[in-house]
Amino acid sequence: MAENTVQTTGHVWDEDLAELNNPLPNWWIYGLYVTVIFAIVYWIYYPSWPIGKDHLRGIGTVTYLNAEGQAETNGWNTRAKLLKEMQDANAAQKPYFDKIAAMSVAQVTQDPELNSFVLSAGKAMFAENCAACHQAGGQGKVGFYPNLADDDWKYGGSIDEIQATLTGGRRGYMPAFGEALEKPQIAAISQYVLSLSGHAVDKTLAAEGDKLFHSDTGACFYCHGDNAKGRKEFGAPNLTDKIWQWANVPAAADMKAKTAEVQKVITAGLNKGVMPAWEQRLNPGQIKLLSIYVHELGGGK
Amino acid sequence: MTATAPAAAAEPYDYEIVKKFTIMSIVWGVVGMLVGVYIASELAWPWLNFDSPYFSFGRFRPVHTGAVIFGFGGSALFATSYYVVQRTCQTPLWGGGLVPFTFWGWQTVIVLAAVSYVTGYSQGREYAEMEWPIDILIELIWIAYLAIYIGTLMKRKQPHIYVANWFYLSFILATALLHTFNNLAVPVGLFTLKSYSLFSGPMDAMTQWWYGHNAVGFFLTAAFLGMMYYFVPKHAGRPIYSYRLSIVHFWALSFMYMWVGTHHLHWTALPDWASTLGATFSIMLLLPSWGGMINGIMTLSGAWDKLRTDPIMRFMIVALSFYGMSTFEGPLMSLKDVNALSHYTDWTVGHVHSGALGWVAMISFGSIYHMLPRLWKTEMYSVRLINVHFWLATIGVLLYVVAMWISGIMQGLMWRAFDDYGNLQYSFVESVAAMHPFYAMRALGGLFFLTGMCIMAYNAYMTIRQGQAQQAAAQLQAA
Repeated sequence: MAENTVQTTGHVWDEDLAELNNPLPNWWIYGLYVTVIFAIVYWIYYPSWPIGKDHLRGIGTVTYLNAEGQAETNGWNTRAKLLKEMQDANAAQKPYFDKIAAMSVAQVTQDPELNSFVLSAGKAMFAENCAACHQAGGQGKVGFYPNLADDDWKYGGSIDEIQATLTGGRRGYMPAFGEALEKPQIAAISQYVLSLSGHAVDKTLAAEGDKLFHSDTGACFYCHGDNAKGRKEFGAPNLTDKIWQWANVPAAADMKAKTAEVQKVITAGLNKGVMPAWEQRLNPGQIKLLSIYVHELGGGK
Repeated sequence: MTATAPAAAAEPYDYEIVKKFTIMSIVWGVVGMLVGVYIASELAWPWLNFDSPYFSFGRFRPVHTGAVIFGFGGSALFATSYYVVQRTCQTPLWGGGLVPFTFWGWQTVIVLAAVSYVTGYSQGREYAEMEWPIDILIELIWIAYLAIYIGTLMKRKQPHIYVANWFYLSFILATALLHTFNNLAVPVGLFTLKSYSLFSGPMDAMTQWWYGHNAVGFFLTAAFLGMMYYFVPKHAGRPIYSYRLSIVHFWALSFMYMWVGTHHLHWTALPDWASTLGATFSIMLLLPSWGGMINGIMTLSGAWDKLRTDPIMRFMIVALSFYGMSTFEGPLMSLKDVNALSHYTDWTVGHVHSGALGWVAMISFGSIYHMLPRLWKTEMYSVRLINVHFWLATIGVLLYVVAMWISGIMQGLMWRAFDDYGNLQYSFVESVAAMHPFYAMRALGGLFFLTGMCIMAYNAYMTIRQGQAQQAAAQLQAA
């Protein structure tokens, strides 16, 4: 319908290309004006046009606490806004952290309000700091990182002990017995170790392993204890439960493979169980809170 | 084509170069989209990395963007701009040997870039990952391209320059400027690929995004508007709706785009005033962008009946619709507060692809389907397959964009969700796990789009073969 009333510009290209002379649509031109007005309002509110070495500051403001703790109002800028948001967030959580710092751990766990704060803050803190190794639910990874959700603890599972682990970090170590013992001796000890957790083993070999375990030749009992239930002073784990951290016994298909897993650890030893110290990164209040959280993950003692 | 004219002398235009670029556009389309579907699948199923650096997302991603933007899009632009400038100026291309140089040079650039990314060489600048020797080659090609274009315009047999050519020319000029300044760098040594940028800190970031967003503005928008301004009225057989609108929105678009790059750097070390200007110019860019959409859609109005029968027309109208949608979404996302939610999420990825697949690829498909039978002097091998391609592409874009909208907004909301005690409600990995179904959906959308592209390649191949067979038969008859 348009071409009946509107003329073309009279130019023709490539045989049939032409242009009509329609005016700019009104809604288009007014729409353009509206966006310009919007831009001007934005320029008035936020920092905008540079002038010389300065720029228009805008009428928007941010009020935050300065280094002296006094309220200070400044022109809108992203750094002040971030500062203010962080201060507001910290202020909202301060009463909880103050109470947790002042109360004993037992008091904290018995206060329902504080306990739910610990669960909420602990989850976020755990996700940010711990989950990368110990996994999202604290379940760990066999061969790499210990499980925090069971009741087996290398360095002790009381809140104080967990707090010490978090603060100062830990470094696990087991010597490589391949340098000190003969292969048949290691085979015997591995049978004894597997018998401790109820595996069907070669009884004769296991008896021989028992002797080596408790002798000065094998010297396993130094760290793992007379009853093989581990000694938390050394971070030496309990060998009588069915929880395995380094030798992946549960995943091995048959006794031969399970034995090989245990022998591998005894022969080569371990020098990779490193837990970093968190005192540089988290403050004591946060570490205390995180200790309670980790304690509540599973079998805290 | 009268029977008396010898077949060889009849051609007034240089179509050889147009044919070459058209074929390579289709080839790079298939390659680039295949890599795209692969990396989309890697995000959904990470074992596809095969624990090999050569297969990793980080190296394949620039291979994908390079192949689709510069390989597919770039070749389509060379092809159509050479086609349009000759036909609307009624003169063959100026430039002699420079013309094939732009073809072989450009293809070399795409190949070298892809090989260098896979082997681990990257400048680390998005969409400008090529190391300095490749940048120098691009510079030479681009100067040749500019010379050819201006040379051809100067010997035109028409008193006026057609609107499509303004857009193509602004694209060539702006790209020359952007490429030069963003790649100012000092090589570590003459025989190393590494170099240091001339700028540092926020200035470097600002230069990069001045380039980055104008690559979108001039390479992916202005240039494809040039394509639209020729192929839409030509294919519809109708005049452009408004000459005045085309002038006003051309200058407004060219002026505004240059300012908006800083909206990629909200909430960073960039000075706040620069980020404000980026946001406001993005808002003011909305209507100038829509000027092209209005002109395209109003040109088609009155020819709506063709949509029922002509799938090429459908490609064009859907392209214009996606163009309108993504140029509305873009300004919205450039506002500081919206950006605080959308930035670093998949929303950005969805936005880019609604422009890249919905607008750039669709208008290129329409234009290439328009050119194919005219270049090889035959009919399309199958109109039905064009229709199949159209539906596969449309469903593909929709799946892709919807998946990324949901995933992106969900990501943004999860990252900033606090519980009643002011603690973060989700960890980062929980947001990653939540995105998985949408990553699978996005890969599926990409697969649809890729399938359509492969059908186009087959259809083009058959059309070209058919054209050559008919040509040979005609020659035989003439002899």
